[in-house]
Amino acid sequence: MRMQCLDTKFFTSSTSLAPIQLPSRMETHLWYVIPNEVKSEQLLNKYLEFLPKSEKERVFSMRGDELQKGALLARALVRTTIARYQTNQVSPRSLKFRKNIHGKPEVDWQQIEDWHPQQLHFNISHTESLVACGVTTHNPIGIDIEEKERKIKHSISSFAKRYFSQQEVQLLSSISDPEIQRQEFIKLWTLKEAYVKALGRGFSGSPFKTFTIRSVAASKEGIHLSESSSSENSDIVVESLEDSANHTGDWRFALLELAGSHYAAICSKNHPMKMSVWRTIPLVEDEYVSGTDSVIAVGGLM
Amino acid sequence: MASVTASSVSFAFLSAPTKQSQGLARGLVSLPVKAKSFGPLKLRNAPLRFRVSCAAKPETVEKVCEIVKKQLALPPTTEVSGESKFAALGADSLDTVEIVMGLEEEFGISVEEESAQTIATVQDAADLIEKLCEKKE
Repeated sequence: MRMQCLDTKFFTSSTSLAPIQLPSRMETHLWYVIPNEVKSEQLLNKYLEFLPKSEKERVFSMRGDELQKGALLARALVRTTIARYQTNQVSPRSLKFRKNIHGKPEVDWQQIEDWHPQQLHFNISHTESLVACGVTTHNPIGIDIEEKERKIKHSISSFAKRYFSQQEVQLLSSISDPEIQRQEFIKLWTLKEAYVKALGRGFSGSPFKTFTIRSVAASKEGIHLSESSSSENSDIVVESLEDSANHTGDWRFALLELAGSHYAAICSKNHPMKMSVWRTIPLVEDEYVSGTDSVIAVGGLM
Repeated sequence: MASVTASSVSFAFLSAPTKQSQGLARGLVSLPVKAKSFGPLKLRNAPLRFRVSCAAKPETVEKVCEIVKKQLALPPTTEVSGESKFAALGADSLDTVEIVMGLEEEFGISVEEESAQTIATVQDAADLIEKLCEKKE
């Protein structure tokens, strides 16, 4: 049971966001909210105040209370997270967003006076039970999260044959234990999604069949988690099956078990990808969870 | 009729007293804030798209609704219609590709990634299915 009371050492002022320094070129920041931990109506209304009318409309267009809450938390998380990195007083409300030419959301810095961290990139992903936001500088980031227990309606074999590359189909079909096969499938899905989101060209700009993601024996750099002693000895790499000019060697991946309940894939060009992870309830508390059980590095795939 | 005017709204799922007007309809069909009327001809939130072909047959729309409800495990009482947006129903990217796969299987068609990406509503899916079915014949 998470503590939200005053004597926790992670408590920050309830009316402000704890500021934080931008991640360096070699770091990646990941912030997540667990919707079940946000119960206060007053707090949800505060979050709502951060949203412009168009975002509010979108939140309320979601069908059902839980979906609306999830949508609200996603917008609140991205706005409050980005606002933390400012050096002067930028309120979460004042951030403006736009979509790039392919539809990937980004911050519209021109709308904010005095703050132009052109190099700040972010990406969001959420499930019913967790909302996450990744932040990098200098290079784009893509993240995807899925519940570990996620089951798909189709057989994994037919799904993979329809959407994944031949090598990936072969890898998955070589796994005889159905539960392990399902887990590896979900991990592979999150990695592929994270890659496509990092590229920012949309699902059709980088069709899943045109690239393979797999794990290989570790290079010298490996995947670094802050203070982690449990990182696996393997790298995750992507190979393009079409465009040899894709420079796929530049992309780095991290695959984590997050909060005991989710797989999280993070993709960016920054390396070594030193991850810092916080569990947060914006405006209430932040808990640095790297190196704890909430963040477990999953090496490469089997 | 849904409206978002005040800056503060009570959330029904927290069982708090409602400050917003009783007219706030949640969980029902979403309407644009500026809608002047409601009924069979609804204003769409999405930008207008001009279609040369006719809209899909009701049976196709119905079939798509069934597949979507099944994929998203929606309660049978959920109101799903041509206007319904996948995202608003809670479909994430994995759901969406499974829905596309379900439509391919049901209608014996093959959907390109470019087309799949443009599907936002049940109607979009039904129209695409009919277009692809026509091509087959």
